[in-house]
Amino acid sequence: MTAILELSGVTRAFGERTAVEDVSLSLLPGELAFLIGPSGAGKTTLLRLINRELPPTHGEVWVDGIPAHRIKPGRIPALRRRVGVVFQDFKLLPRLTVLENIVFALQVTDLKVSDKQARDRALDALEAVGLGDRGGDYPAELSGGQQQRVSIARAIARQPGLVIADEPTGNLDLDTGVSIIDLFADIARFGAGVLVATHNLQIVRRRQQRTLTLVNGRLVRDEPAGRVGKLGWAQSS
Amino acid sequence: MGPVVLKAPFPRRAVYLTVVRNVLHHLFFGAALSWIRNLAGTAPALISMTLLLILAGVVGLGGFALHLLADRESADAAVLHVYLSDDASSTDVDALRLKLSADSRVRSVSYTSKADALKKAQNRPGLGDLASGAGSNPFPASLDVKLKRVEDVSGVADSVSKEKAIDPVQPTSYDPGAYGRLQKALTYLAVGGGAFLAIFGLVAVLVTSNSIQSAIHARREEISIMGLVGAPNWMIRGPFLFEGALTGGLAGLIAGLLVSIGAGVGATVGGSNRLGALVPGFTVSTGVAAGLILLLVGILLGAAASLIGLRRHLMAPEG
Repeated sequence: MTAILELSGVTRAFGERTAVEDVSLSLLPGELAFLIGPSGAGKTTLLRLINRELPPTHGEVWVDGIPAHRIKPGRIPALRRRVGVVFQDFKLLPRLTVLENIVFALQVTDLKVSDKQARDRALDALEAVGLGDRGGDYPAELSGGQQQRVSIARAIARQPGLVIADEPTGNLDLDTGVSIIDLFADIARFGAGVLVATHNLQIVRRRQQRTLTLVNGRLVRDEPAGRVGKLGWAQSS
Repeated sequence: MGPVVLKAPFPRRAVYLTVVRNVLHHLFFGAALSWIRNLAGTAPALISMTLLLILAGVVGLGGFALHLLADRESADAAVLHVYLSDDASSTDVDALRLKLSADSRVRSVSYTSKADALKKAQNRPGLGDLASGAGSNPFPASLDVKLKRVEDVSGVADSVSKEKAIDPVQPTSYDPGAYGRLQKALTYLAVGGGAFLAIFGLVAVLVTSNSIQSAIHARREEISIMGLVGAPNWMIRGPFLFEGALTGGLAGLIAGLLVSIGAGVGATVGGSNRLGALVPGFTVSTGVAAGLILLLVGILLGAAASLIGLRRHLMAPEG
């Protein structure tokens, strides 16, 4: 099976400081993987390299067959449309309802999507995350966990091949965080590759999915699903 | 049973219609709604643009009036008034007129009687009351000589100075230094006006783009989200461009109305065209044209300032 995400010898430096160093990994469609590591390990930088918010200093980043490392600026939006991104702070537009947030994201990225198609797809996505009856609410009327579900619905509404999430449970309590991770597992079961950056080790241990450990920008451990043992970066260094 | 005709929209046309509808919805209607919603945030930009445009309108109208005046002075400089003595005989006047008409440097000669000279003076601002108040008519009759070249004024004035019909006290309107002074004044006016317009344009763009940038900065989250979900840059830029044009358009409309009304009142106060008397060619429609120009300049300025303000938020990823 062809990988949906492939990183090969990726390094990203900011001046003297190297945030990500010589990272190589691949993710298959339908695979859920956790990216763990202490604060400042380079998790967010790695996700930003995948969504081409940053170019790598060295190495190659392939997303769904597109070379993100040497893409022209004008093609970046097209690459981002193949990646669903979930943020720790949800990034929902407060002036739009939940449904409008998803419709807006669908239509500004593809003008050929009609109002009806966009609404149908947005409603499907909201159903999938368990919020089918909250489409008319504004983000401020929802709890943190519900807002994160909306953010996930927005990410999957376009049915991207790859979903990346940066600390999606960072602002949530443990039970809500677990339900959000369950949602990511469901998304992976439907065929998307899912990469979740987190430092919530409890959830990672409970899920027993493939786990990639990043320390000081280097990928120090890649544990396959079902064989996630003792976690903690202190032991890796 | 007859054949069943399926009525469905032609698919390609349906897609085009959807694209047009979405462009209208997100680029224009959405932007207009968002502009109304964020009017409070846009207020500083709106106020500064309106003030700048009013100033531009006033300065522009002033410049235009000076240009009209300079044109009139320039045209007047090529006309030599040969003043006739009150007791000049009609034979002497005719002889002088014939002599002037025969001169190859002269384009045309016309006669202004004492009564016509008084009437003209009564229409001139400042001279009207003086002329009406005088017991007798102090203005001489004249032969008004239009010359082909302004440089020939002095030669023609010299050639008629010994004629019998001429007023011995003030023979002609020729002022030796007037032409040089006029040329100098026109040059200063052009250079000064050009420099002022350049500085003013720069200040206007800087002030406006700074004000609009603050409004855009307040909505950086929205811009960032659009970019992160994969909206193309033109789709992000478009609504802000339209919102900038709306801000500039409203500022231009307010400034245009105020300047037009001001110019209109100036031109028609007291029932007579006072500005028109001071500055020939300046009418109410001049003020209306100035208003429309300000509206257009406002729209362009707002859109340009929005584009400049957005640049910072739409920088391509480094590298």
